[in-house]
Amino acid sequence: MFLIFKRLWQVNWAEQWQYRANLLMYLLYWLVSPIIYLAVWTSIANANGDVKGFTANDFVTYYMVLLICDQVTSNIIIHTFAYKIQDGSLSGELIKPIHPMLTNALVNNVAFKVLTMIGLTPIWVILFFLFQPDFSGVTFINILIAIPPMLFAFLIGFLFSASITALAFWTTRIYSIHEFYFALILLFSGQFVPLTLMPKVIQDIAQYLPFQLMLYYPIQLILGKLSQAQIIQGYVMTGIWLSVSILLFNWVWREGVKRYSAVGA
Amino acid sequence: MTPTIKVNQLSKTYQVPEREGGFGAAVRGFFNRKYKDVKAVQQVDFKIEQGEVVGFLGPNGAGKTTTLKMLSGLLHPTSGTADVLGFTPWELKTEYLRSMTLVMGQRNRLSWDIPAADSFLLNQAIYRIPDDEYKETYKELDELLELEPLMKKPVRNLSLGERMKCEIAVGLLHRPKVLFLDEPTIGLDITGQARIREFLQEYNKRTGATIILTSHYMADVTALCERIIIIHHGQLKYDGGINDLSKKIAPFKLIGVLMENADEHDLSKYGEVVENMEDADKKFIQVKADEVTRITSRLLADLPIRDITIADPPIEDVIEQAFNA
Repeated sequence: MFLIFKRLWQVNWAEQWQYRANLLMYLLYWLVSPIIYLAVWTSIANANGDVKGFTANDFVTYYMVLLICDQVTSNIIIHTFAYKIQDGSLSGELIKPIHPMLTNALVNNVAFKVLTMIGLTPIWVILFFLFQPDFSGVTFINILIAIPPMLFAFLIGFLFSASITALAFWTTRIYSIHEFYFALILLFSGQFVPLTLMPKVIQDIAQYLPFQLMLYYPIQLILGKLSQAQIIQGYVMTGIWLSVSILLFNWVWREGVKRYSAVGA
Repeated sequence: MTPTIKVNQLSKTYQVPEREGGFGAAVRGFFNRKYKDVKAVQQVDFKIEQGEVVGFLGPNGAGKTTTLKMLSGLLHPTSGTADVLGFTPWELKTEYLRSMTLVMGQRNRLSWDIPAADSFLLNQAIYRIPDDEYKETYKELDELLELEPLMKKPVRNLSLGERMKCEIAVGLLHRPKVLFLDEPTIGLDITGQARIREFLQEYNKRTGATIILTSHYMADVTALCERIIIIHHGQLKYDGGINDLSKKIAPFKLIGVLMENADEHDLSKYGEVVENMEDADKKFIQVKADEVTRITSRLLADLPIRDITIADPPIEDVIEQAFNA
């Protein structure tokens, strides 16, 4: 099994390098929205002194960590896989004795992330000196305990996106469903605004949803803003949502493959 | 001994959305979508023993490829059963997938952007082929198909024929016991076709593998298969030896003539005029095989002929005539 992943990695890594210009464009596109939120919130905070206790520097610090967390936990599976179901090119992968989504597509996503991470690093360093975030609450231990839930949050997000992608077995119009899913992430993950600034109702709902595990929870964890009880709650939610996403994906995939029509070749 | 492949009442019906063109139809289709049932394969039965090489023949859209897709596990049938090597193909059991191969079209197992060599190594890992076995198989494949010069180029830069060779080779690295080949010689020149045929024959002899192939080229089938299964309009029309088939199919030849002022001459007195051939400049007539010499000399004597060809009619037409009448 190790050899399979090693060779998959070599192939996907080489493939991603073929598209490095495309990758750079994607990275720039992907950087735009967090940087806009950062700019908007810091200027509002600067004008008012603070927003519900969040100073301009708090926003800077929050969004600088968000850039890293988002890079780790997001995925692009819908863009790299859905077309294969729609145009029939999945056929070649489906009859191989490995799971097309959980091996090749997963490795492909990771290769993509590692490469964009390399592109992100210099940009992040420049932003760091430009905005000078306050990382006084960040400790080595915080980072260490934030890593496992972040990796699992990537898997949760990957499996949810993969489930939506697998809806392509039923309908060719999956992108609108994915857009809706994306709106939920924007609202409940803490990307649009740190969740503490949201109305109480939304905060209450958000803490039981998987989306905050992708951004808000690891950011607060890294910045040392969570109590021990909150940290444990996050770990428990991660376990629950990982189980849910695994069950959901398995079911959608199994039922979807039955409907596969192997169009084209 | 139980047969390697056993197919029982296998059927596949596709539901195809259907609407007329135009804006109004598009709006109506949004609320009330109509589907048409297309019966691609209907209650097909056959058994294939280990080591047999069987040719699937039939015109486009006859259901050959749908049958192959079901046997390889890509498609779930609408009804009926199939058993290949003791497995139900569409359950996609790992053990089954490791013991068969499906070669289909030219874009399948090879990754488009990287050299074929990398895809070969990836498949070695996926099929868990031990190093020494891999080297041995690769050497054999290289001898027969001359792969080595192709391995370092990105797959997108290979020609159609080169890609097909690589596709077949990469599909055989794990020494499958059952091979499903959909048009394995498509896009190849005559030498390339012959080489693939020889190779498949050799592979079948050496390993005792069971092979089902579909082809448009009668030559593929006559060279490789002793047994033919004809599927037409989704139904099994013929299952038997190739020799019996040639008796059943009336032996016709197709004479094509190129001449000045072609429209002024009536060819129907020489044989049945065939319309809609690919070569629009020529006129074609179909004649019985044993009359070819006589009619050709009459044509040459009677008409201002600039060029003349004699060929076998396309396989689709032959089947159409034999089984639609």
